[in-house]
Amino acid sequence: MKIENKVLACVDQSPFADHVGDYAAWAAVRMDAPLELLHVIERHPEIGDTRDHSGALTPNAQEHLLSELSEQDEMYTRRSREQGRVFLNRLRERALAAGVASVDMRQRHGHLDETLRDWEPGVRLFVLGRHGQSGAAGGQDMGSNVERVVRMLQRPVLTVTEGFKPPQRVLIAFDGSALTRRGVQMVADSPLLRGLPITLQMAGKLRQDGPREISWAAETLTAAGFDVRQSIRDGEAEKVILETIAAEDVDLLVMGAYSHARWRSLLFGSRTDTLLRAVRIPALLLR
Amino acid sequence: MKSLHGEWFSNVRNDLLAGMVVALALIPEAIAFSIIAGVDPKVGLYASFSIAVVIAFVGGRPGMISAATGAMALVMVTLVKEHGLQYLLAATVLTGIFQIIAGWVRLGVLMRFVSRSVVTGFVNALAILIFLAQMPELIGVSWHVYAMTAAGLGIIYLFPYLTRAVPSPLVTIVVLTVVALLLKLDIRTVGDMGALPDSLPVFLIPDIPLNVETLKIILPYSLTLMVVGLLESLMTATIVDDLTDTRSDKNRECVGQGVANIATGFIGGMAGCAMIGQSVINVKSGGRGRLSTLAAGLFLLILVVFLGDWVRQIPMAALVAVMIMVSIGTFNWASFRNLRDHPPSSSVVMVATVVVTVATHDLAKGVLTGVLLSGFFFAHKVGQILRVGSLAEDEGRQRTYRVTGQVFFATADRFVNAFDFKEVIERVRIDVSRAHFWDITAVSALDKVVLKFRREGCEVEIIGLNEASATMVDKFGVHDKDGAGDLLLDH
Repeated sequence: MKIENKVLACVDQSPFADHVGDYAAWAAVRMDAPLELLHVIERHPEIGDTRDHSGALTPNAQEHLLSELSEQDEMYTRRSREQGRVFLNRLRERALAAGVASVDMRQRHGHLDETLRDWEPGVRLFVLGRHGQSGAAGGQDMGSNVERVVRMLQRPVLTVTEGFKPPQRVLIAFDGSALTRRGVQMVADSPLLRGLPITLQMAGKLRQDGPREISWAAETLTAAGFDVRQSIRDGEAEKVILETIAAEDVDLLVMGAYSHARWRSLLFGSRTDTLLRAVRIPALLLR
Repeated sequence: MKSLHGEWFSNVRNDLLAGMVVALALIPEAIAFSIIAGVDPKVGLYASFSIAVVIAFVGGRPGMISAATGAMALVMVTLVKEHGLQYLLAATVLTGIFQIIAGWVRLGVLMRFVSRSVVTGFVNALAILIFLAQMPELIGVSWHVYAMTAAGLGIIYLFPYLTRAVPSPLVTIVVLTVVALLLKLDIRTVGDMGALPDSLPVFLIPDIPLNVETLKIILPYSLTLMVVGLLESLMTATIVDDLTDTRSDKNRECVGQGVANIATGFIGGMAGCAMIGQSVINVKSGGRGRLSTLAAGLFLLILVVFLGDWVRQIPMAALVAVMIMVSIGTFNWASFRNLRDHPPSSSVVMVATVVVTVATHDLAKGVLTGVLLSGFFFAHKVGQILRVGSLAEDEGRQRTYRVTGQVFFATADRFVNAFDFKEVIERVRIDVSRAHFWDITAVSALDKVVLKFRREGCEVEIIGLNEASATMVDKFGVHDKDGAGDLLLDH
């Protein structure tokens, strides 16, 4: 696959799709990258919707059933294809209006994970909604797909919630780990956040080399032209971060995501999850 | 879809309802197949319960129904007749062990060699055998039985026009049982055919001497049961794959069938496998997940154990009607029309599979016949693609042969005969750039041609051995090695 370095916005037909599209457009404009809107049509073969309980095996029952089921699938696919096209087209107009130079749109069959895995090589930034169609009612629920998808991908993922506001102030949750150090480097090198004031927040149980790490990060960012404020605070990391977000009116959170094995987060819960549930601003997750 | 949760709980309501429909249809079948095998109905009922429940957890194809089947019952008839139930239970366990091994060594890939015609032959033969197995209940009986059977078939096929909410085979069974009881008809009932389950199944070890004699008795049956069980299971898995447009894990299914059969042997059930008809009914009723299979097995046991006294009263005529429905539903009626449309070789394969199976009552032999015939026909067809043309060149000093097509065991003779060894000529060039040499027969045929020309005093040059042919010739050929002539002379 050719390297296109595009921003890929994964949208489903939920109210959040507009905001996913808006943030993706914002990122595409800032990075001067092409934008692609992706809508995955998932079919659900694991759900049976034939309800013929007659239990009778008529002659050629198998052939009849096969043609009946494939007709159903065909109709479903056609309907969702057309719906999706109209919906994507609207998002495309919106992104063009927001000033993105090149907007592509595409619908694919299959599951979201597989599709994103196939698509990853040409993507610079993924944008997806933290509340998917399924989680729309739940408010605090994460879209069911987010953790699975983020764990699978290597590129940064911008997860957004309801509402769009061009980010003005950024908070980088920094813990001195290799992952967040790489993240700082990435932010420094990328045009995405250029010009935005950044708060470097280090919190939780303090590591001995914490101060050294954070000043390295601050220097790196300052050298790249960022206006940086650093803060080291004791206390529970999630709480500290939430407080800073509220106090400084931060509207974009940058953090490393799911650095622990899946079994660990199943047992002890994942900090990424806790934070993502608690904050209502978009989060740029670095892998 | 791959997730555990997805395979079990994405379709709960429909799975439970479909499982119920399937359970109701499984009861008459399990009884009927026990009767075919010559064992008490409880052997088939316990088997259907245990296989369905176990395969729900360990199978590779969610939504597929496995239980006691006709195909397996037909294989065990002689074993039961000559050695009794205990040997059948032992054979069931051994079958399971073989199936697990088959899954481990990934025998499932062999299904590639079972062509569509063989599959059609298999299901047609199965339908015919199930139908024929009902004959003992229909020959030399009073007119009541015929009337009941006809009425049963009428209800089965017409009741769905009234409502599709209730399984029509169940209606048939209930109506015919009530009629028989009200009219006090003196006809055979399920209770006359042997013991029904009166309790939950218990673990028991087959009561057989553990020695070589026993192994000698059960081994051939177990091998056949393994083959038949895996064949029908993998065929059914493919059918469910197609119906639901999803994929399944065939090797896991092989192992799963094995585990299910081992468990079944130890609770006094007969060997079983996946069922085409029931799986179709399940999908049709909305069953998709593992829960449907589990529900079918559990409902079956609950119904049979608690309603045993009622099951006993079911007239055999009702069962026969259900089994005739199964046989009609299993038969591939389109295959009659296809006899005219399809290439004759496919039809011969299909018919041969049916004939051999019906004659031997052994689906494994039928399938083997079909597969071998498919192989012959394929070799014959591919063998048609071989042309050897030639042209004299260089003012009659040289002749170039151009070989196009497939050279292998079936065409090797024609290949050799295409060369004129009596021609008086200085040089022969054989251009094989557009030929494929498939096997050592082909390679030795080429050797033979080269050596024959050399003995006539011709120079031979082979050009354009493509990659495929080159590897074969390098590995096995002698003509380009030193002492080739001696080797031939030695013969």
